[in-house]
Amino acid sequence: MQESMNMEKGVDRGQGRSYRGVLARVGPGRDTWRWLGQQLFNRENPAMYFDPLLESINPLWAQRYIPARVEAIEAETHDSKTLTLRPARRWGGFRAGQHLNLEVEKDGRWYSRPFSLSCSPSHWEQDGTITVTIKKVADGEVTPWLLEHFEPGDVIGISRAYGEDHTPEPGRPMLFITGGSGITPVLSQLEAMADRHLRNPVTLLYFVRTDADVIGGRKLEALAERLPNLELRIVAAEQDPQNPDHLGPHHLQAVEGLTERDCFLCGPPGLMKHAQNLLADAGVPEEKVSSTLFAVGPGVVVTEDAGGTVHFSRSDITVESAGDRRLLEEAESAGLNPRYGCRMGICHQCSCRKTSGIVINQQTGQPSGYGEETIQLCINVPQGAVELDL
Amino acid sequence: MQKLSEEQLENLAQDLDAIRNEQMADLGQKDADYIRGIIRLHRTLEFGGRALMPLGFIPPFFLAGMTSLGIAKILENMEIGHNVMHGQYDWMNDPELNSQTYEWDTICTADSWKRTHNYEHHTYTNVIGKDRDYGYAVLRLEDETPWKPMHLLQMINFINLSVFFQWGVGVHELEFEKLRSGEVTLREKAEFLRDFARKGGRQVFKDYAFYPALTLPVAPVVIAGNFGANLIRNLWASSVIFCGHFTEDAESFTEEECENESRGHWYLRQLTGSSNFTGLNWVYTLSGHLSHQIEHHVFPDIPAYRYREISPQVQAVCEKYGLHYNADSFPRQYATVLKRVTAFSLPDRMRERLFPEFNEGDEQGKVADRTTSTSLVSRLRNRVSSTLSVAA
Ligand SMILES: Cc1cc2nc3c(=O)[nH]c(=O)nc-3n(C[C@H](O)[C@H](O)[C@H](O)COP(=O)(O)OP(=O)(O)OC[C@H]3O[C@@H](n4cnc5c(N)ncnc54)[C@H](O)[C@@H]3O)c2cc1C
Ligand code: FES
Repeated sequence: MQESMNMEKGVDRGQGRSYRGVLARVGPGRDTWRWLGQQLFNRENPAMYFDPLLESINPLWAQRYIPARVEAIEAETHDSKTLTLRPARRWGGFRAGQHLNLEVEKDGRWYSRPFSLSCSPSHWEQDGTITVTIKKVADGEVTPWLLEHFEPGDVIGISRAYGEDHTPEPGRPMLFITGGSGITPVLSQLEAMADRHLRNPVTLLYFVRTDADVIGGRKLEALAERLPNLELRIVAAEQDPQNPDHLGPHHLQAVEGLTERDCFLCGPPGLMKHAQNLLADAGVPEEKVSSTLFAVGPGVVVTEDAGGTVHFSRSDITVESAGDRRLLEEAESAGLNPRYGCRMGICHQCSCRKTSGIVINQQTGQPSGYGEETIQLCINVPQGAVELDL
Repeated sequence: MQKLSEEQLENLAQDLDAIRNEQMADLGQKDADYIRGIIRLHRTLEFGGRALMPLGFIPPFFLAGMTSLGIAKILENMEIGHNVMHGQYDWMNDPELNSQTYEWDTICTADSWKRTHNYEHHTYTNVIGKDRDYGYAVLRLEDETPWKPMHLLQMINFINLSVFFQWGVGVHELEFEKLRSGEVTLREKAEFLRDFARKGGRQVFKDYAFYPALTLPVAPVVIAGNFGANLIRNLWASSVIFCGHFTEDAESFTEEECENESRGHWYLRQLTGSSNFTGLNWVYTLSGHLSHQIEHHVFPDIPAYRYREISPQVQAVCEKYGLHYNADSFPRQYATVLKRVTAFSLPDRMRERLFPEFNEGDEQGKVADRTTSTSLVSRLRNRVSSTLSVAA
């Protein structure tokens, strides 16, 4: 079983891969281009230097991310919407079951959030559009704002597509188990099957809370028409609160030839773990199960108190912090030599990339976000598990 | 140095932290829009300047191109580069505005700058022997450093430092004075020298080879214009920085005073070791808001354009603790800088009589001033300082 992508790994900010893609098309001049960028603009990607001007002329010319025009927005449920996007032509396309990051600026801060493509690649190939389907996380930082803020005609930043290629292969019987917004990559895969007129036996077990929470209902209906061997089982687990119907062995027993099937799981961590256990119990070999986790990076624990496991990823050292020492001291006593200056929060010499986890600023007492950002080692202590690029 | 009790220092730190936390909690779209606006202006001025330069054989175009590029370099160095490298915009999570990756348009590498400026200068502000920015090791600005005859000529150093400021800052970390005394070896500085050569090479290549070559028939005009632009930037940047710490009332400190200091004491040193100049808003912007050097030193990583609005709060704190908030117009602050450079170029005995205002303790200075008001020495002194104010 492979866990394909988690949110942290998927982060691909404009500076990295995306612009190299642009340069690749410039061809043999790539090294010269980079050299010239260093000479004239003190940065490797000269194109980005022009962004502030290009963007104000036409937002679709921005280079630091791939701009995409919002073509349409359609409500799926009370708390989810599908955005139809038209990415700038240089976006590289995608395979069924892949994801992209939406790159947005909210209140002056840049956020990068992963979403799956919810349509088949043929949309992009034929008319240059793609869709992402977004469900609101009630206490989330970005999704509630995202669903309110954008309107058709706006421009949003996206990354290149990433994640495993789940293009369905002909002939193999398949089982999808999904929950909530985990349906999205499956919509893409099923649509890709329909485009290729595949007739594999497919069962989709789709768990939602109530009938009102079905995401992609219209699309699933249309797919049921196009895929004669699709067996669609939508389970509204909490429709009847007296008799909840959560994923259990009985759902799997009803699937014909279970052990022969390629299984694909996608949804919240609880459901996925449970499904994995049930499939193993039912004798499905591990290598036939693949899954995509729709959650913040594993190992992120929310605690009230300072202290936790600190992982220095570049040197692959892990230490337990009791929360009584700053990260700089933790790193030093682990034998690392991070750069520092004042050791009192003034000079930013000790700034370092935090890739996941929450830290508390000892000067303000404020906790950080849990995503990727730059922090000062000399004034922060961990709150729960933290990963640092050191 | 003005003295406060430990308790007062603690309260001072609390008061200033409160201002800081309020600002930090308020960071948002406004700041992002501001810095992007400045970057847009910078790009416009830079490309505009470079486009005008080849027409520089027509004098007004030359002037316009040179000024435009000069202002672009000033904005990039002071309002963008300096401030971004202080981490003022790290919270935006924008890779283009990150303190760890930003590289600016000047000879000095970002890494070297962050070591000598962000760390040494901002931590040990005006501590003689530790803050090498205090006089840049070529100026004697206080009497802790023993006088030597060569100091008589330090006004020449001052002028050179102003004209070639970006080179001075670029080689600053070489610690020439320590090389000469054998405290550090050239070998220890090899890495620094390599980076310095690479970055310096780029800067020279860009302004004096690449763009002139693009405009070959008028290359000399472009070279001259680019030189002029660099000069404008050097003169302005150095003046702003000198006005921040070398003014008459800016205090300096000894190492003993600052051993194991508390955060409150560090704050106190920032407040009394820095000086502001007043002016119009566009002058503030062009100075990267280092016009508000006091606020900058107290809060180095708050977006600098906010210093303007924090200033009254900081002044109120100073008043509460009876601290002198050193602010005056740019010409007057600059005049006191010239006065300090002149005063400390003289042997101590002569300085004490000619420039009693630099004697330890203000009171003393003023008393001395009054009692000797009829002496020849004093009249001479008055002549010197009035010429300086006129010159400014
Ligand atoms: C590969 C992949 C594909 C995805 N595809 C889709 C998709 O197609 N459609 C879709 O709707 N969603 C998808 N998701 C999920 C989506 O990325 C998240 O819902 C989204 O990032 C939430 O962003 P947010 O800023 O609104 O919430 P955040 O502010 O990021 O918070 C998300 C949740 O995590 C909780 N949280 C915050 N901090 C911690 C912490 N330290 N530890 C534990 N929990 C914490 C919050 O309380 C909240 O419930 C996908 C996720 C992944 C990894
Ligand atoms: S070491 Fe200076 S800010 Fe951390």
